[in-house]
Amino acid sequence: MERRQKNQQQQNPRRNPLSSSSSSSSSHSSNRKSRYRPPNRASGDARARHREDSGLDSGDATTWDEPRSLARSIDERASAAGTRSSMGIREQQEQHQHHQDGENARDSREFASAVGTCPYMCPVGEMAQRERLRDLAVFERLHGNPAKTSPELAVKKFCRTISTRHVQLSDIRPLSVLGSTLDYLMNLMNSTPEPFETVHDFIFDRTRSIRQDLSMQDILDKRAIHMYEKMVNFHVISHHKLRLSSSGPNSFNISSLHHLNMEQLAKVLTSLYNLYDLNRDHNSMHKNEPEYRSLYVLLCLNSESLPEGERLSLWFRRVPTPVIKSKEMTFARRILRYFRTDNYKCFFSTIAAEASYLQYCALEPYIDKVRALAVLLINNGGYKLHPYPIAHLSNLLMMEESEVESFCIACGLETSLDEQGNKVLPTKQPAFNHPKAGHGKYGFSGFENICRGREAEEKV
Amino acid sequence: MAYLSMGEAHRRITDYLGRFSDAVSSQDVASLKHLLSLSSNSPSLLSLADALNLFQDANRLIKQSDKYSQFAEIVVPLFRCLQNYKLNNLVDAYHAYEKAANAFIQEFRNWDSAWALEALYVIAYEIRVLAERADRELSANGKSPEKLKAAGSYLMKVFGVLAGKGPKRVGALYVTCQLFKIYFKLGTVHLCRSVIRSIETARIFDFEEFPQRDKVTYMYYTGRLEVYNENFTAADQKLSYALAHCNPRSEENIRMILKYLIPVKLSIGILPQDWLLEKYNLVEYRNIVQALKRGDLQLLRSALEEHEDRFLRSGVYLVLEKLELQVYQRLLKKIYIIQKQKDPSKAHQMKLEVIIKALKWLEIDMDLDEVECIVAILIHKNLVKGYFAHKSKVVVLSKQDPFPKLTGKPVNA
Repeated sequence: MERRQKNQQQQNPRRNPLSSSSSSSSSHSSNRKSRYRPPNRASGDARARHREDSGLDSGDATTWDEPRSLARSIDERASAAGTRSSMGIREQQEQHQHHQDGENARDSREFASAVGTCPYMCPVGEMAQRERLRDLAVFERLHGNPAKTSPELAVKKFCRTISTRHVQLSDIRPLSVLGSTLDYLMNLMNSTPEPFETVHDFIFDRTRSIRQDLSMQDILDKRAIHMYEKMVNFHVISHHKLRLSSSGPNSFNISSLHHLNMEQLAKVLTSLYNLYDLNRDHNSMHKNEPEYRSLYVLLCLNSESLPEGERLSLWFRRVPTPVIKSKEMTFARRILRYFRTDNYKCFFSTIAAEASYLQYCALEPYIDKVRALAVLLINNGGYKLHPYPIAHLSNLLMMEESEVESFCIACGLETSLDEQGNKVLPTKQPAFNHPKAGHGKYGFSGFENICRGREAEEKV
Repeated sequence: MAYLSMGEAHRRITDYLGRFSDAVSSQDVASLKHLLSLSSNSPSLLSLADALNLFQDANRLIKQSDKYSQFAEIVVPLFRCLQNYKLNNLVDAYHAYEKAANAFIQEFRNWDSAWALEALYVIAYEIRVLAERADRELSANGKSPEKLKAAGSYLMKVFGVLAGKGPKRVGALYVTCQLFKIYFKLGTVHLCRSVIRSIETARIFDFEEFPQRDKVTYMYYTGRLEVYNENFTAADQKLSYALAHCNPRSEENIRMILKYLIPVKLSIGILPQDWLLEKYNLVEYRNIVQALKRGDLQLLRSALEEHEDRFLRSGVYLVLEKLELQVYQRLLKKIYIIQKQKDPSKAHQMKLEVIIKALKWLEIDMDLDEVECIVAILIHKNLVKGYFAHKSKVVVLSKQDPFPKLTGKPVNA
């Protein structure tokens, strides 16, 4: 992305932005806006349609009173995630969420015509504060200095305790700044040598902050749709990349990251679908809606995958008919049928032939599950005197022969050689067990085609 | 309409107030119900709205009299609701009705007996229906529909008031069913769980104490939940209860129950009679049943496609789609029967190629790997007894009962 030219800025007196009074905020933001405004910027961010929606993901603030933690650790998040997964608490949260939605709605209405004025990816006050506290992510440090950042590096953090009543307009980024910030973050995902979990953690937090700013400004039009689609991309691709890192000494932390990623993905998808519905003209569908709707199906093949997700039987009731009939949703529904009927042959061959890259990333965790099922069915139903050729199994499961052998062993089954020296899987073995999650990393021989498809899509 | 005089307006308002306070003081629930029934579009209530528009000082009338003012917190917002309702301002009408409903539940809480229970039923019903209409108004104006969720919160509060040791507790099931309607419409059916747990495990509730009408509705909705969760045994039990105990003259209700009970019965291997589908206009299931009888996979696919929208909107599409395995079982059984007629000594050996030919006859192209996969699935699910020989490309069927019937049990998960 093209960096904005650095503006000369007059140093402002240091102040905690959250403690300012509203009257001084008004005059102050007015001054700041005129001072920092680039000369060629279009005035204001016109919104095509103004709509109120208290249902949008506002960054998952759980309580207004929770003490602010500037450096919430992964362990704390893991602990919170564990707590949230309790069934009883989920229902309590749903009730609490309703109350909170009401509060959000009232706060949002007070800001109904508000447009943020922060011209940077991060408000100046927050930059100064985090420099003092040495609370800068590795991506935000100027020349690696943990106490120094710049407007081209710092990105506003998600703030759990936020209430729109106490926020200045100068702390909120307008739509155009949010768009460029998001592009910066998306570009970062592919262009840094840092370990992916570090990149993921940073982008995870900063995209939540973007959603928070969108929500506070009631930005609900088609431009928000495009932004939410990009954020879905981030979480779905993370779903894939975090799995690649999911063994070794960091596996516990990454497993927690994976769980939190799914939670946030569920929220972002829900918000995206609400935006589709709010912006619908007649019974048409949005350009990318079929693919992003299909992701829900593919993520929920097992019915319990997404936190607080709706049962697919119920979810389909409200999908618009043009989306149901689309190529992307038809693919997802066929995959669902193959999964639910244990049709391993069609499951693998259809993914290889038709899945987009995003759809593949959503489906990836299921591939080894279906492979294990296939091995189970073949072991169970095969003829004892005719062992099953590993080479054939390799074609069926779409994995390398050597990987098939180690996969069978992971299932508790032995392989052997037949009279001609070919590797075979003797059937009717009694000791089958499902491989432990995360055991080994097996490729998918259709993946190269899927990646080529992705490159072709990106060139269009 | 005829010109309405100030005197006539005054009379209508005081008449309503008098009837309201009389109904409460004499515990006349039949009258009270009528006074709270918004959606009945009663001419007297709608004409009261006209009177309120003309006579701008109804609040003074209420406060002047001790007889009326003790119910001011209910009646004042109720009047505002009526005015907005008449003008078709449904969101504002909802706000006002919710305010009145909250005041009513406070009063209701203080009454020891359950005399006003049916009036509370009216409020529970009206607040849901009004919320649905208000949300349609909000959506039409490009706003987020949120009143149905608010109605759900109100009804949870009502449920809490009823869930005690006193005689009011028999009303809890009616409120539960209204909550179900809300959660089903909102798509938040997981919220049903905590209410169901209360009804089914709390010591204060004895299911048999509830009114029959409410038990039928409850079993219908909880039966539907079991369908969505594919717990077919429990779904069969609940929906069959609803069918057995519902009003036999209400064909619409019977149809609603059968719409879910039929897919459940099909999933446990029980086919309905043709006359039943005909009688209750369930024609969308006819070809599904035919496909199962014939082992015709193509017919199953086309029947699902023909009624796709209907099956998806009712939530049974995925259940019906899974019947595919039973259709395959039926197809293989037919091949077996034909082979047995030709050569009984070899009937139990079925070439995969023969299955491919049968499918081709049904206009379905399938290769050897896929057919072998289908056979492996059927063996695993205990729909076929036997084994397949990959090398010989043959299914070897058991000589004893190679195609076990489901006999009322779901396909082996």
